[in-house]
Amino acid sequence: MLANPLALIAEITHRCPLHCVYCSNPLELAAANSELKTEDWLRVFAEAAQMGVLHLHLTGGEPLARTDLEELIAAARGCKLYTNLITSGMGLSRERLKRLVDAGLDHIQLSFQDSRQERADWIAGTKSHAHKVELAGWIGEHRIAFTANLVVHRQNLDHLEETLAFIEMLRPGRIEIAHTQYYGWALENRASLMPTAAQLQNALRVVAAAEERLKGTIRIDSVIPDYYAQFPKACMGGWGRRLILIDPAGKALPCHAAGVIPGMVFDNVREHSLQAIWNDSSAFQRFRGEEWMQEPCRSCDRRTEDFGGCRCQAFLLTGDATATDPVCSLAPRHNVVVQALGVSTAEVISPSGLSEGWKYRPNPGRV
Amino acid sequence: MGIAETCKPALAIGCKWGGTEEEPMILFPEGAIRIQGTGLAILALCDGQRAFTDIVEELQRQYFGADPQRIREDAIRFLEQLHEKRIVDY
Repeated sequence: MLANPLALIAEITHRCPLHCVYCSNPLELAAANSELKTEDWLRVFAEAAQMGVLHLHLTGGEPLARTDLEELIAAARGCKLYTNLITSGMGLSRERLKRLVDAGLDHIQLSFQDSRQERADWIAGTKSHAHKVELAGWIGEHRIAFTANLVVHRQNLDHLEETLAFIEMLRPGRIEIAHTQYYGWALENRASLMPTAAQLQNALRVVAAAEERLKGTIRIDSVIPDYYAQFPKACMGGWGRRLILIDPAGKALPCHAAGVIPGMVFDNVREHSLQAIWNDSSAFQRFRGEEWMQEPCRSCDRRTEDFGGCRCQAFLLTGDATATDPVCSLAPRHNVVVQALGVSTAEVISPSGLSEGWKYRPNPGRV
Repeated sequence: MGIAETCKPALAIGCKWGGTEEEPMILFPEGAIRIQGTGLAILALCDGQRAFTDIVEELQRQYFGADPQRIREDAIRFLEQLHEKRIVDY
């Protein structure tokens, strides 16, 4: 029997005041005037809770760009969803934070780009760093979970130790060290963002030391970036197995990047119930189970653990969405990943000297 | 043992009850755990108001006939486990 999803990822807007070069949003961003209305989201949340979804991840874009965020959180609390706000914190005042907490926010995940203001603002393509520091202090005034999220890559890994020390002072309950995932804008900027093997080795050492030092106070979550891993990640916990993502315009996707795979048709929550989409939509069925798998996945013992890795990455790097994720050391096309690691140049760019191909994510307008 | 008699165990920051009445769960940022049986009885009393010693007394009342020392030890072990997972503070 098909199990229902456990988490709903609600990309409530693609509008964002930041222009991060590592953004994994699709290259084709949803226009501001295509966004779902408040009442659409409220219905989706109620349906999700009815299906047994436990966690709601409010993300974007920048979710704060929606003026109805308080209402969305209150409704989610009303149907007992655990609400997680994934945010840059840009423009979040002390008063609005209090309103969000009062509405029922359970967890805030605040992103950081770097420990140094100039570099952080350079990666985000906008001035945002100083405000985050102030905001972290305000979060501490409330009884909600606080995770500091740091996306790492070639341009900030060399001073990871300093960045961790900086984030530590902001007193989050948890620090998530997220290696850049190469989708959307991040893939466009891959040559500038891919860490070197030496950087990665150093990062592992720094993280291990921090885990030891912070034991019992701050938890650290970090995983090896998949280009350097031996086996692929169990992307989204398997296609159509645990998660459902709704984009700003209401399209239901099995993952953030699924739109890159040609021929996919995504049903819209404006026209279908969440349950119907989960059970019957062609997009969710496309890579469910093992029928679609090729060798070596098809006969591999790991297929029930990693589900062949990421379908979108398989397509983006090999042109075939049913191929073994090429980050897998057993993949026939693993050479494309080895090549990508080889061509990443060793230089670290400085904020004043932009490299060619450093592409900032734009803010979507209206169509 | 790491639990003082006077401490008042409560759900940690960022943790809350969820799931359904038949299948109660504790939800936290990265996931959820199902709580059942005696664990449910113990955690339901961890409201931040009752002291640990009162919780044990109440459990001994609820499980009248069971070995009172065993009840205390089970409660300590369970709360220590959840403390380690950062689900309970005391």
